[in-house]
Amino acid sequence: MSCENPTAEADAIMPRKRKYDKSRTCVKCKENAGNVVVRHAVYCRACFIPQMTYKFRRSLEPYVNAKPDGPRRTALKPTGNLLVAFSGGLGSTVLLDLVNRCYVSPDPTLLTADGGRDHPRNERVWKRVHVCYVECCDVLLGTKDRTEEVKNLVEQIQGVEFISLRIQDAFDSSWWNSIFHEDSNGDVVVDLSDEMLPFVTTGSSTQTPLSAMKAYLASLPTPTALPTTLNNLIRVLLQHTALNTNSSHLLFGTSLTSLAVSLISNVSQGGGFHVKEEMQEEWFPDARLAKNSKIGSVRLIRPLKDISVKECGVWAWWSRLRVIGREEWTWPGAKPGIGRLTKDFIRGLETDYPSTVSTIVRTCGKLSPKGSTSGQCLLCQRPAQEGVQAWKARIAIRSHDDVALAGTSVPDPPGHALAPLLCYVCHTTLTSKGTRAAPALYPSHTSPSVGISVPLWASSYLLGSALHDESSDTGFVEPVAFSGGKRMSQEELRGAISEFILD
Amino acid sequence: MPPRNCALCDQARAILKRPKTGQQICKDCFFYVFETEVHNTITEAKLFKLGDRVAIGASGGKDSTVLAYVMKTLNDRYQYGLELFLLSIDEGITGYRDDSLETVKRNQQQYDIPLKILSYDELYGWTMDAIVSQVGKKNNCTFCGVFRRQALDRGAAMLNVDHIVTGHNADDIAETVLMNIMRGDIARLGRCTSICTQGDDTIKRSKPFKYAYEKEIVMYAYFKKLDYFSTECIYSPDAYRGHARAFLKDLEAARPSAIIDIIHSGEAFEVKEEVKATQKLQQICKRCGYMSSNDLCKACSLLEGLERGMPRAAVTDRAFRKKMLEEDQPPEGLRTIPYFQRPSGETRVGTIS
Repeated sequence: MSCENPTAEADAIMPRKRKYDKSRTCVKCKENAGNVVVRHAVYCRACFIPQMTYKFRRSLEPYVNAKPDGPRRTALKPTGNLLVAFSGGLGSTVLLDLVNRCYVSPDPTLLTADGGRDHPRNERVWKRVHVCYVECCDVLLGTKDRTEEVKNLVEQIQGVEFISLRIQDAFDSSWWNSIFHEDSNGDVVVDLSDEMLPFVTTGSSTQTPLSAMKAYLASLPTPTALPTTLNNLIRVLLQHTALNTNSSHLLFGTSLTSLAVSLISNVSQGGGFHVKEEMQEEWFPDARLAKNSKIGSVRLIRPLKDISVKECGVWAWWSRLRVIGREEWTWPGAKPGIGRLTKDFIRGLETDYPSTVSTIVRTCGKLSPKGSTSGQCLLCQRPAQEGVQAWKARIAIRSHDDVALAGTSVPDPPGHALAPLLCYVCHTTLTSKGTRAAPALYPSHTSPSVGISVPLWASSYLLGSALHDESSDTGFVEPVAFSGGKRMSQEELRGAISEFILD
Repeated sequence: MPPRNCALCDQARAILKRPKTGQQICKDCFFYVFETEVHNTITEAKLFKLGDRVAIGASGGKDSTVLAYVMKTLNDRYQYGLELFLLSIDEGITGYRDDSLETVKRNQQQYDIPLKILSYDELYGWTMDAIVSQVGKKNNCTFCGVFRRQALDRGAAMLNVDHIVTGHNADDIAETVLMNIMRGDIARLGRCTSICTQGDDTIKRSKPFKYAYEKEIVMYAYFKKLDYFSTECIYSPDAYRGHARAFLKDLEAARPSAIIDIIHSGEAFEVKEEVKATQKLQQICKRCGYMSSNDLCKACSLLEGLERGMPRAAVTDRAFRKKMLEEDQPPEGLRTIPYFQRPSGETRVGTIS
């Protein structure tokens, strides 16, 4: 057997990968030597900068005006302010830089100066620009609080306002009251052991927001559910902050690479109905919350969706941006969830098939949701597909009652159940179990014995809504179907399914 | 930990944990829910009509062996009134296919279902062994996949059946959804979660195991003591599908519902209307009469590539394919595929519910 000694065997040396496919010359100006290769295309620095700015503006400006894709640039008239989501990571750092240089303190090296100083296109697009950071260190053991660091970085930019939140604000009635002036008059406690998720309303909670938040995370059944829940909580916190700051636009620094990962991860968690939202969405808040706001909806846009993480890295390097970095979301003893596995898989696939990420994003851009919507999911605030519970009941029999009900209409859910008010992803996040019990997240934390509290936007709705009324040609690519010609013995069969056999 | 009672009947001792629901149940309840879920899938989608002639695509592998058994069981239990056939395709792989066909022949005896075997050699004049000797192991899956699909339809036409059922399971479908997204195959993505597909001029094809987990199919075979053959291709597998399958297995290990969640995703989206309008329309191959998205179907162009001694050109060389299209008929002496005749199919009434 070969020891693969490079000094002895020429074959053992890894062939050096060529940096250039065809030519070293920039594909755009065809004059300068290239400085960066982006999916086989070579760009010089002078061409890369405007190219990247163009991609950013192309993904954002058609959606600035209330009527999407109307006449632009000469008349960018948003209905409200701007909120930039900032995590400290590479994508949001680049996003903040581009927003600053294009719309806050216009950089003449990026923008053409046609039309004179007072031309309408040179007016400030958003009257106020806020940057919001959500700190998660209190629920992620072993991570440090970066709020001050982020604040210092953001405050170096003239003309933007910094807003800091903490993830447990999702359970903090004082935060909720301060922005929506709605007194909390109770709590909603959900029982996660029943798939219909029955809930009861109680008096005001005696738990601290952090304690409620920890109890919520600790009761999630799988490691997959943890990052999914945190991501949703952060997004919905930002949406409510956008509403509170009259921001008609909320920008995320999701790069092409991150978007491909989140699309596949979302599909793998049953979120096919939300493919459109994963790319771009418009959130219409509850009428009770919107009544004090000057804006009717918040448009969530990902302007870096055509820019790969590599291009972001090059931009940050050439612009000498300081990237704080974001903490990895890990929990001691927890195995990687679907999000982490997807990230690793897509990054690996990108090496062998470099076009994968853009193919995924382009393919998903050609899809639209199928079927009708039953409303907005109470937890993630995205559209909920109609008939989710009926579908789940139909494809897997969970009790002998299901058999008796097969073929008939699905019975009405119990009056105080959360399941019918959730989308497929949120219901699955709360109820789908792993093959093994999830490790205890917070060993020193004692969870409440009966049920868990839900985020404030959900409890506010449940407490304030009528629900609280006490009276009430194949496309199939054929899989490889050959076999190795060996009869399977009972022992081999058993080996294949051993983890599911109990005795 | 003391043995638990079955989560469904609460009487017998639970002996397995269902991957699909995570419930611990007994053997009898497992058989019952597995079969009933397949029955629900069939009746919900109104797959068959009384008196339909149905061919079961049988390879001797676990999926098709269990499918044959379950179809026979459900047909008797619920009186579907179906006339069942086993249809096997012999790709011509020495030392392997012969063995798996022996299983199918035993199934024919055990279930008393007539069997039809159609070989690539008989239909195309080529075995997979011969194809691999020409093209190597890298691209042979392209040939086999295209040839098998047509062979099944042609075998079904010979049996004059209305319907082909295949053993594609939930894992296969979930894997196909992921793969079609990752390689941008929008046409297939739009239809890969359909339980039944039928063009204007093709035989219906269905997947009654659409919601059945591969692991549960294996469990069913194990507890029923059905015999089948392991299904690892002796020629190189499709590398891209291999990636997707490995990824899916990781997802399933992280959260077993991932498989059904992906299928739900696939059913929850569709291709936008404006994109559909740009897709090619289905037509008939000018040479063999089989459905095709071009003037010449994929099987005819691959076969001509083989016959001309340029098999790779038929897969990768556009100029070669264009030249073939321009020549309406192949040069003298080259073998071609017989013209496809769709089964006449008598009109039957009533659906199974």
